[in-house]
Amino acid sequence: MKVVQGMIVAVVAVACCTGLFAYQRTADWGYQPEQSNVKAEFAWSRLSYTSNAGNRGYGYGYGRWASWQRDYPKADRQFLIALNRLTRVQGRPTEQIVNLDSDEIFNYPWVYAVQVQTWSFTDEEARRLREYLLKGGFLMVDDFHGTADWENFMNGMRQVFPDRPVEDLENKDEIFHVLYDMDDRFQVPGEQYIRTGRTYEKDGYVAKWRAIRDDHGRIVVAICHNMHLGDAWEWADDPEYPEQFASMAFRVGLNYVVYGMTH
Amino acid sequence: MFEFLFKYPTPVFTKGKLVLLGAWPGWVLLLLIVTAMVGLGVLIWRAMPAASPRLRSWRALAVWSLQALLVTLILILLWQPAMTVAELKSQQNIIAVLVDDSRSMAIADSGTDKRQTREAEAVKALEGRAGEANRGILAGLERRFQTRVYRMDRGVARIPRAQDLQPTAAATHLNDALKQVVQETADLPVGAIVLLSDGAENTGGIEVDTLNALRNRRLPVHTIGFGKEQASHDVEMDGATVGAKAMANSRMKASVSFHQRGYSGGRTALTVRDGDKLLASRDVALGPDGVMQTETIFFNAGAAGVKTIRFSLNPLPREESIVNNETSRIVNVTDDRRRILYVEGEPRWEYKFIRRAADDDKGLQIVSMLRTTENKIYRQGIGDPKELQDGFPVKAEDLFQYDGIILGSVEAGYFTPKQQELLREFVDRRGGGLLFLGGRFALADGGWAASSLADLIPSFLPNGRGSFHRDPATAQLTPAGMESVVTRLVDDPAKNADRWKKLPYMMDYQDAGTPKPGATVLAELNAGRSRLPLLVTESYGRGRTAVMATSGTWRWQMSSALGDPSHDLFWQQMLRWLGGESPGHVVASASSERLLDDDRLHLTATVRDRQFELAPDAQVVAHVIGPQGDSAIVDLTPVANTPGTFEANWSAEKTGAYVADVSAHRGQGAAGDDLGHDLLAFERTDGIAEGFHTDQNRELLQKLSSETGGRYWSFDDLARLPADISYSEAGISVRDTKELWNMPIVFLVMLGLLSGQWLLRRTWGVI
Repeated sequence: MKVVQGMIVAVVAVACCTGLFAYQRTADWGYQPEQSNVKAEFAWSRLSYTSNAGNRGYGYGYGRWASWQRDYPKADRQFLIALNRLTRVQGRPTEQIVNLDSDEIFNYPWVYAVQVQTWSFTDEEARRLREYLLKGGFLMVDDFHGTADWENFMNGMRQVFPDRPVEDLENKDEIFHVLYDMDDRFQVPGEQYIRTGRTYEKDGYVAKWRAIRDDHGRIVVAICHNMHLGDAWEWADDPEYPEQFASMAFRVGLNYVVYGMTH
Repeated sequence: MFEFLFKYPTPVFTKGKLVLLGAWPGWVLLLLIVTAMVGLGVLIWRAMPAASPRLRSWRALAVWSLQALLVTLILILLWQPAMTVAELKSQQNIIAVLVDDSRSMAIADSGTDKRQTREAEAVKALEGRAGEANRGILAGLERRFQTRVYRMDRGVARIPRAQDLQPTAAATHLNDALKQVVQETADLPVGAIVLLSDGAENTGGIEVDTLNALRNRRLPVHTIGFGKEQASHDVEMDGATVGAKAMANSRMKASVSFHQRGYSGGRTALTVRDGDKLLASRDVALGPDGVMQTETIFFNAGAAGVKTIRFSLNPLPREESIVNNETSRIVNVTDDRRRILYVEGEPRWEYKFIRRAADDDKGLQIVSMLRTTENKIYRQGIGDPKELQDGFPVKAEDLFQYDGIILGSVEAGYFTPKQQELLREFVDRRGGGLLFLGGRFALADGGWAASSLADLIPSFLPNGRGSFHRDPATAQLTPAGMESVVTRLVDDPAKNADRWKKLPYMMDYQDAGTPKPGATVLAELNAGRSRLPLLVTESYGRGRTAVMATSGTWRWQMSSALGDPSHDLFWQQMLRWLGGESPGHVVASASSERLLDDDRLHLTATVRDRQFELAPDAQVVAHVIGPQGDSAIVDLTPVANTPGTFEANWSAEKTGAYVADVSAHRGQGAAGDDLGHDLLAFERTDGIAEGFHTDQNRELLQKLSSETGGRYWSFDDLARLPADISYSEAGISVRDTKELWNMPIVFLVMLGLLSGQWLLRRTWGVI
């Protein structure tokens, strides 16, 4: 009996420690399947996608951690606070999860995706995302690092746009001036910077500001490679996380939202 | 019979004046008549007690009436009544005979014998039928008058013999011909004019000046009509209404009017062509015989250039004339870009998707100012870095450079009183378009109901706020919207209405209140159980305003199939409506865009300065380029009492298309100020008009003769024309007195009255 009790206590203790550890690593407020009923012009939408099997977080992750959920939902809500405070965009205070399995995504013309080196699409999902982008939708991708991640990201992207080139954005591009002038950008690291002091992950030493455009030259996919803006939003309230990274991340995000709502 | 009873022909009585030749004054006659009537009455009254009982009633009054009339008639005859009438002196007057020789007179109305043309009938009327020489009206006239025979088309020309007439002239200008005859015979004793025509006047009618000239000379015009008054099988275009100017590739709406006879209930195709290129076609059901019907057809204006757009109805079996199945209009299609200023108070999807729709339209440019933060304005589409640098313009010349303005989710209070007044002037004086969109800071929720611009909004906004709802709403067209070029997504009106019903729901809507009188509701929205106005338009001053009570049409783009044009097409048409009709600083117009067998053109231009105030001190010149590259410079002069308006008369001597570039400037030399210019297109065509209105225009001929003291003659009555025509005051005439006492009708009436009262008295037992 004592053995059983001891085992139960041990399991509970391990579970608590694991939960505490998980909480500390992601500052996760927990998965919240209910969508907000607040009506507003802008809803921060996070793309829930199917991850390929070789990566952690297979599936949509309902009930478990999935790659699309990275920094969710604190990053989203921190960013929405900034959006509502710093701009005249009427943003819904909570985020919206969208996926490519239904046309619901067409109600949200701006979508954010992370860990996109793990995404994979069925033909139907790729077609839906392509139509979404060509009809006027805007996709911002973030939090993938290095050469391997890039290739994995592009594997999915080529399903969506087989022929559209990816280009490096220049300082003069409108997306860096639509709200804030951002000629002096720098790499924004994730939370790991606090522990490692490194601004990069894997072999992603240099931040890449890239994009895919439509036939009119408008950016439809904004690619933030070798940086982790989501973590910067999430950890912006952490005294150990450098302010300049958080500020840069917010300015980039705000510019991308306003660009997506104007072009 | 008339002449047997009354001794004289009708004109003696219609044109003559009644006089009493008796020496005693007229009042004596009146006194005697009254005395006689009273006397008769007294006699009958006195005899009444002794009279038969049957006579003591209304019968006594009847007997008295007949007796009184008889006495009155006898008394009048004693005063020697007569008619004095002017009569042309024999062999001293000229009768001008005008014969229409235009192409319409070559029509054989019988349809079987092509030799029986209207012209042939006219010649027969003049010369007499074969084997009946000297039985025509010419022979009759020549017994008492000299005659001059003229052929008549655009003008008149004397011809020796009526047989020489050939109905080949391209036009009939009755008005000009009559005016010319009056002028050329001013010093000749012309006693009357005889006009033989089908009345197919090509220039619209007889001018008052011409009628006055005829009346001044007391010159009667006797008209003889030829041709059927109604075709049995014909379709004829009555006109086409379409804008004279259009933006390149814009959707144009034309209203085509026509009538038909003999094909009621049938169907034909209405087509629109630019040269040989088919622009649009639609099936039309033909209405009742002789009733004008109007059909609407939409087409694409195409690339820039001056175009002759032809509207035609497909010929039907057994149609008598197919020349009149077609009409054309000149349309000046320009590739000018219309600049629309879009003021948006907050970033929102509608802004993005309206801009994207305009991006696909080369005729539109949206210049926008978006309040991204409380203190930042993001400008897009600006022409130079200084444009809108200081926010919304505060000077008229800055604001009036735009053709249209969109006010998005922005409060009325965002604009200063001066800017609000500029907005009003933008619509009222500049003639621009102003569109109010729905939004959380728009319309009633933006305080616009209480603003000084409330009267610009085409609806009475609801009081208070809370009119904006982020709830789904669907759209549907009103009958007006089904016919509007703004809401035309599909050409067929029924399919278009259906298309609107199937559009994805809008993300939000706003209660725009009640449409104002004079406003047009093009579309409504269904929100729950409520039906509210969605798109309302109205004219205001020289411009136009509209309300689009939503900011959620972007779902039409995102939630429709990829490639569905509905969202973009609607907004492109909406923006073209908003800015496409905004006038420039110079607005030129011509008296007619189609000169049919006519060379006279009246050019008018209204000139405004940079603030769109009238510029009466401008110098205005028209550079006209005509067929074969002919060009001319025409100076336009100020019109008295109409500041800023200039005019000139010009003659388009050759047939073909003309373009006039009317430009205005102020001041001299390099210091001068170019105010602007306007392009004007018109066309002169000869010979087309004769194919229209080929039925006899009896109404015109009758009116002409009655207005001048003449008479409309039918073919059967012509034998009396030579005699009746002599009663005219024109030329050399004498006033003749025709005594009336010995008219047979007088004796018959006397006899009737006498015997009538005797018979009554006998019947009622008085005798």
